[in-house]
Amino acid sequence: MEKVLQMTDIVKHFKNVEALRGVSLSVNRGETVAIIGPSGSGKSTLLRCINRLEKINSGTIIINDEELCHTDSHGKAVYQPEKTVRRLCSETGMVFQHFNLFPHMTCLKNVSYGPIKVKKVPKEEALEDGLKYLELVGLLDKKDVYPAQLSGGQKQRVAIARALAMHPEILLFDEPTSSLDPEITGEVLAVIRKLAKSNITMVIVTHEMGFAKEVADRVIFMDNGLIVEEGSPEDIFIHPQSNRLKDFLSSMLLV
Amino acid sequence: MVNVSAQIMETLEYIGLLMPSLMMGAWESLKLFTLTLLLSIPLGLPITLGSISKFPPFRWICKLYILIFRGTPLLLQLFFFYFALAIALDIRLTVFAAATVTFVLNYAAYFAEIYRGGIESIEKGQHEAAYSLGLSKNKTMMGIILPQTVKRVLPAVSNEAIILVKDTALASAIGMAELMKVSRSALNRDTDPTALLIAALIYLVFTMVLTVISTRLEKKYSKHESKEDS
Repeated sequence: MEKVLQMTDIVKHFKNVEALRGVSLSVNRGETVAIIGPSGSGKSTLLRCINRLEKINSGTIIINDEELCHTDSHGKAVYQPEKTVRRLCSETGMVFQHFNLFPHMTCLKNVSYGPIKVKKVPKEEALEDGLKYLELVGLLDKKDVYPAQLSGGQKQRVAIARALAMHPEILLFDEPTSSLDPEITGEVLAVIRKLAKSNITMVIVTHEMGFAKEVADRVIFMDNGLIVEEGSPEDIFIHPQSNRLKDFLSSMLLV
Repeated sequence: MVNVSAQIMETLEYIGLLMPSLMMGAWESLKLFTLTLLLSIPLGLPITLGSISKFPPFRWICKLYILIFRGTPLLLQLFFFYFALAIALDIRLTVFAAATVTFVLNYAAYFAEIYRGGIESIEKGQHEAAYSLGLSKNKTMMGIILPQTVKRVLPAVSNEAIILVKDTALASAIGMAELMKVSRSALNRDTDPTALLIAALIYLVFTMVLTVISTRLEKKYSKHESKEDS
């Protein structure tokens, strides 16, 4: 299996909190991995370490066979030069909980801005490509509209198109439906489901258990800065082993 | 009745006599105002960027600059650039040049602080989104952060512009023949406050025009962020 992402022994602490206490994660090409766990378990932090939104304290990260960061003999993480880091990070796409669309740009410009400015794709081509991705998320008719005029679900779909337009090797979702009203999470999940069927590699941090069970090839349960259990959706949701996962699942069901 | 209309005629005649010099003064004020605004608004930007730069010497210099120009009276700065430079270094600026230099340097410091507030008010998520697309620091600043900052700083910038209209009157202290100075001379010469009243009206017209312009600009820049179709 070809690995798109390999993270080994990742340690990350914020001031007094150890957010990640030695986490290893590797993702195969085309795989959809869902990360679940209680708040504060470190799942978002782990995701944000992949594209260096958080700098790790120690560990190794390899994206597409290229090293982003390794640990030196003193046990400290050493990142590649800024230019390499930028390039590797632009091979990952990220979809945020709060969308983070650029409010001063139309949807089409939001989607084509990265390819034009970072990948130096000719403008015409980038716009055409952008239209293709807006169509994929079902928002072609909103191409000239500014984000303020969209609903939350539509914003998130544009954000997904924006990430896709960079042709990322791996797409990262940080709780993509957590700030949406329950009745519109469906339209976003439908888009992600569509992507899961194509061969895009994805890591999804989510609180939507039903969704994780349905789309993921592999589910990872994190608690307290560690991966507690991982396996197929069936392993995790139907035959949980550890007490912590059992407790977590029953608490999610009660809500 | 005859008396009253005669008095009105006399007053109008007096105003007619005053107007040319008052208009000249207003023109000088307007020149100082416009030049100050045109130069200090862009100058504020590099000072802001310096003050938030990751490179300490840059940051210190810019912060010191802001501290000095915001922390001392504008009137003192005017005297400094007009008299002190001449006495100590034999640099003799004309009153207009001295006033312009002082106002530009002073207002740039204020604008720099306003811009910094605007830049820092942009949500962290915007930086993260730009970063995750692989945009460099410069491109993020120029393409993502600053365009959004413009809208947020407009109210504060127009407020400063209105303050500047009135601050130009300080230039009279170093003898610049602007509106304040001219109307005060008329007051002293004729012991008649009419010139002051007219000057007040001219200042009011300036600030009203500015208010209209800034309201329009604010509307223009906020149109993308309203929910209605534009």
